[in-house]
Amino acid sequence: MKKTVRIRDFGSQDDVFSPIDSGSIPLLPGEEEGPRFREIKPELKEKYDFSLDGFSALSLPIPKTEEEEAAIVNGFLRGLEKLFEKENNWGFLLPTTLSNEYCMQCNTCNEACPMYVESGRQDIYRPNFRPEVLRRIIRRYFSLSGKLLGKWAGADLDLNWRVVYRLAELAYRCSLCRRCASVCPIGVDNALISRELRKVFSQEMGIAPDNVHKSGTIQHMKTGSSTGMTPLAFKDNIEFIEDIIEEKTGRRITIPVDKKGADILLIHNAGEYMAWPENPAAFAILFEAAGLNWTLSSEAMGYEGVNYGVWYDDVQFSRIALAQVQAAKRLAVRKIVVGECGHATKALITIADRLLVGDMAIPREPCLPLLEKLVTSGAIKFDPSKNNFPVTLHDPCNMVRLMGILSPQRNILKHIVPEGQFREMPNAGTNNYCCGGGSGFAIMNSQNFPEWRNNVASRMKARQVLEAFKDVLDPAIPKYYCAPCSNCKGAARDSLLGHFGFKDKYNISYGGLVELMVNAMSDSTQPFISWEEEF
Amino acid sequence: MISWFIGGPLTYFAIALFLFKTIATVSKYLKMPRHLRWDLYPVPHQGQEGSKYQKVDFAGLKPHISLYHELKEMSQEMLFIKRAFIHNPKVWKGSFPLHMGLYLGTAWLVLLAAGALLEINGFQVTAASGSTLAGVVYYITLFTGIGSFVAGLWGSAVLLWLRTTDEDLHFISDYVSYLNLGLMILLFGMGLTAWGLADPSFSIIRQQVTGLLLLNPLSVQSPLVTAAMLVFCVFLIYLPFSRMMHFVGKYFFYHNIMWDDEMMQRNSPMEQDIAAYLQYRPTWSAAHIGKGGTWGEQAAGGLPKDGEQK
Repeated sequence: MKKTVRIRDFGSQDDVFSPIDSGSIPLLPGEEEGPRFREIKPELKEKYDFSLDGFSALSLPIPKTEEEEAAIVNGFLRGLEKLFEKENNWGFLLPTTLSNEYCMQCNTCNEACPMYVESGRQDIYRPNFRPEVLRRIIRRYFSLSGKLLGKWAGADLDLNWRVVYRLAELAYRCSLCRRCASVCPIGVDNALISRELRKVFSQEMGIAPDNVHKSGTIQHMKTGSSTGMTPLAFKDNIEFIEDIIEEKTGRRITIPVDKKGADILLIHNAGEYMAWPENPAAFAILFEAAGLNWTLSSEAMGYEGVNYGVWYDDVQFSRIALAQVQAAKRLAVRKIVVGECGHATKALITIADRLLVGDMAIPREPCLPLLEKLVTSGAIKFDPSKNNFPVTLHDPCNMVRLMGILSPQRNILKHIVPEGQFREMPNAGTNNYCCGGGSGFAIMNSQNFPEWRNNVASRMKARQVLEAFKDVLDPAIPKYYCAPCSNCKGAARDSLLGHFGFKDKYNISYGGLVELMVNAMSDSTQPFISWEEEF
Repeated sequence: MISWFIGGPLTYFAIALFLFKTIATVSKYLKMPRHLRWDLYPVPHQGQEGSKYQKVDFAGLKPHISLYHELKEMSQEMLFIKRAFIHNPKVWKGSFPLHMGLYLGTAWLVLLAAGALLEINGFQVTAASGSTLAGVVYYITLFTGIGSFVAGLWGSAVLLWLRTTDEDLHFISDYVSYLNLGLMILLFGMGLTAWGLADPSFSIIRQQVTGLLLLNPLSVQSPLVTAAMLVFCVFLIYLPFSRMMHFVGKYFFYHNIMWDDEMMQRNSPMEQDIAAYLQYRPTWSAAHIGKGGTWGEQAAGGLPKDGEQK
């Protein structure tokens, strides 16, 4: 039974403010029962805060003393104040201020949010819930009307450590897909509020998911990659990829590394080298076949495209973006092309755009238009009959809704997949849903958060994929879920295949776009996609 | 005395405060630093070609600006509240008439002022006016005024009903939402009542506007019109301090955030501005942020030496 909650009770003493009701979670086609969440071990419950919904993305230690509680509240209030100061938040001051001031509480955003809908419409996951909590705190503590009139001025929420911790967790129940903003009649951006909250927690209070911060951006800056891959390890990986290419194509390619003055510096999400080496391999095959003048960088920060800062911390974001561009400058390349990674593409091309002044403003491009050009220019010949299996396409939020890149990938698929085999999923394009791994979810594995991610965040994508393949669900038919984004592939691996068992049940595999392209190359002697081995 | 105060000094004060606060609000937003890109697609002025990110070497291409597509999207959103119509038809049924009431009400005020100017210049704004222009103004004033009151009252009543009875809307609503709708109902309701019972041709209110324009305000000739003007003044004073000012916010949301796809160019005013912002000194306290440096230094310097988060 779904628990009824009220916003003003957000700081209540309840063990769990709004426990998720698995019975309310809408089942997928073919799913016989809802999820069963594991009990939290008592020793963990005593130590860490699970009081929002029974899950923990942040492993927040429960304060032991009143002083610790006060420090949490004061730190949060200090951070909130800074959020609205130009010296501290010039990069997002206007969007944050507007979104804070003008929500009309019409709920238009609610049904746009996959987390809210697929949680069985739990109130706390409404996209306007957390901004509303925030607004009531801001009015209560920072506005004269709120101080004088209290609830009559919309300031009916007293702050305590539980409110702060629950809000911190709640900021990580939104994948920043901005689908809510795209339907808001006014333009209020509740996803931005989630991001700004994450910034307050990270930049002021040092609170962020370990996988995103400590073993994410901090590790990225210390070793050169969020994966921990050092330049030496990177070079080893390149040799390994050259071996893969030889094994799969019968031809040895020497992947250009640190080639000065190349036209293109290709920069991948380094997770590809570790988890899906066939993806950078496919890029190399295509670029070499097309005769492009390109290179990879072996310099720390030069071979890693991710920028987790974009999800939670402007300082970390700026540092990484700048270091990536500096690596490109040292190679004197003409432009950077970002591989199949949505957030890396948006971070480096769009959001960093207004940070890069002077000679740092080196051209940066997404890979999809270039790949389209390889197809349409005739530089490489493709035989679509080699991809004679059903294919559907995922639109990564960062590339599609937030950058408007829709047609190149579709045009490519038109040339490399036989007619009738490609099918759009429902809500394709800028209206698409998050893969379930957005904004760091795909790499966040703290405590029992993966259970929430797999059962709630990824459920809408699972539903879309099943709908797209509904006429070919027979496991005898292999199917390809094409996700041109590393994080989205991570979500597919862990949630669609690992959790929902789509490979075993329906023979659905996942992969990037370039793998499909190489698989369809006319001059290839054997399939590049080897279903059983790779997925 | 009271009717003179309401129809004169209070009205001047309400108008002046409304204008002052509105201009101050707009000015506050205009003075805020340029923000980092936060586009949301489709961006209408990119037209059917869509995002320039779909092209190789897009940075060197001339941006495609389609005023037609932008105006089309803007007008659909402003006049018909397109997004609410598509994504929230339940609320749209109240929101659309309420907004129509406000648009018609604004037109009514302009027409009252126009009628007053005509009367100052010797034209009688009546149904039987000898001047075609004055006659047209008379009838359009009548239409917009009545239309505004009816549509506004209907829309705000529907929204109040929904906010009270609909579980989802009730959940998210704070007291201010009810207060705002109550004020709207009072505003349009008083307008309708004053028109129906006291001023069916709007001659009393037009006479009042004439006095205001001549800086010679009169006592309002009807208690109901006085009451309606009092509510209007309260509304005008309250409006710029409330979230109902979202019509200002909406412009910035659309043009300065979602549709702002201006790229950084070398030696541009934008570049100069950003260079200045990079001199700001952030005071964030987390361990991974160095003490005292500028944004530029924080970005270029990497992690502080002892900077791993505690």
